[in-house]
Amino acid sequence: MEDRTYYSIDPRGKLRCVKCGVSLVKGGARFLYLDNGFPVELPVCPKCGFVYVPEELALGKVLAVEKALEDK
Amino acid sequence: MILFKKTQSVCPICLRVLPAQRRAEDDGIYLDKVCPEHGAFSALIWEGDLRSYRLWAAESGISEPPVNARAAARGCPYDCGLCERHQRKGCCMLLEVTNRCDLRCPVCFAAAGDGPVKEPTLDEIARQYDFLLAHGGPFNIQLSGGEPTMRDDLPDILRIGRERGFSFFQLNTNGLRLAAEPGYAQTLKAAGLNTVFLQFDGVTDDVYRTLRGRPLLAQKQAAVRRCADAGLGVVLVPVIAPGVNDDQVGALLRWALERAPGVRGVHFQPLSWFGRCALPRPERPVTIPRMLALIERQTDGRMAAADFSGGGAENPYCSFHASYLRREDGSLRPLARRAEGGCCAATSDDARTAVADQWSGEGRRADFAPDGALSETSALDEFLRDARRSTFAVSGMVFQDAYTLDLDRLRRCYICEVDPTHGMVPFCAYNLTDAQGRALYRT
Repeated sequence: MEDRTYYSIDPRGKLRCVKCGVSLVKGGARFLYLDNGFPVELPVCPKCGFVYVPEELALGKVLAVEKALEDK
Repeated sequence: MILFKKTQSVCPICLRVLPAQRRAEDDGIYLDKVCPEHGAFSALIWEGDLRSYRLWAAESGISEPPVNARAAARGCPYDCGLCERHQRKGCCMLLEVTNRCDLRCPVCFAAAGDGPVKEPTLDEIARQYDFLLAHGGPFNIQLSGGEPTMRDDLPDILRIGRERGFSFFQLNTNGLRLAAEPGYAQTLKAAGLNTVFLQFDGVTDDVYRTLRGRPLLAQKQAAVRRCADAGLGVVLVPVIAPGVNDDQVGALLRWALERAPGVRGVHFQPLSWFGRCALPRPERPVTIPRMLALIERQTDGRMAAADFSGGGAENPYCSFHASYLRREDGSLRPLARRAEGGCCAATSDDARTAVADQWSGEGRRADFAPDGALSETSALDEFLRDARRSTFAVSGMVFQDAYTLDLDRLRRCYICEVDPTHGMVPFCAYNLTDAQGRALYRT
């Protein structure tokens, strides 16, 4: 499978959108799962709307919410 | 009549292993077997037709062998401990810390109070914890009996388990000492107790007179208050006996919901005929479909049979469960059942964590990474906080007796009694008794 890179980190540690070549900015996003929506703010590309979800968020709080919404 | 899926069972008179046949009729599924000495037996195991039985669950093929299992010699159910042919490593372990009890219930699976006092020393209990760690632990621990609160060193029993790395403890209790002794709930919590698994059979005293030998409602209510005040989770555990309290299922659920989140849920145990049971075994004991129908009818549909599913890690025909989010207006929203087939992929460890999270009095929440400069995720934090407070669990387990025992089910049992001689023995094998009340493992 082609290895695609959607973002890069510049020397100052800032996230950039590879496709548009601009810095990501804080912007509104929404997680949707099992009929539940969660408005959050995450790094987004101001041009194409790409949303960056940090790995620790995906494997932390987001996973915890998924588990809470699922019945075991 | 349709015959399907053969299995093995035992003779209810002499406990010898017999081939058994499942038989579907319009009014239910039956388990048939013939003992060459004691004749033919037929037991209702499911109320409903074959379609409803099959729709309930797909049995998982996942193999999860016990750790350091013992060799199988005579075959199931005679080699428990666990043996190498068992299909689950274990989830919840029962430690019977005494056989003394301050009640003398007409119904008691452990037949507590019969025979001489048996009470393992703290050293013996420490060895049982060590045995569990060497055989797949840590597991969830249920301190049971008899009545565990008869022992004044119960906090020490909790502490030595905590020191060894066990992290979830529930106390199987009649609640009398918790009700009577101010500060006792706090003492147990400080020693490491998470949850009180409280014998709670009904909301009127006539139920307690029949099942427990005397009226106890006031003490039960006081025990719930004291536990909630101490931050201990409470799970109400009603035995459901046909003709005694099967008309109180809805009232029990309402009573529990009014006391959530202190009361974390209700765990029904339809009456089983093993140990000491003064009530005659009916032609049609309570099965999972009957239990779900009682829940639906007596809650006016607020909790529906369709909200429930079978256990994912144990055999799905052993248990049922649903979780609900309580909304502020008092309405309930069932949490989504996992995708078709997904529920049956659970392991014993998945079940162990899910039970501990739901039944604990206070959060076992992990610490999450803080938001970065470009992130703001407080909506997720608020949901997690509310979900814990507002999730209410309804569950139950249908134990097997010598009439209904199905060795296919038994091999997937993940709730074991810890026995100093035999090791980890699946609950329904440990408590199995023949017509004279003789047990295979319980001595």
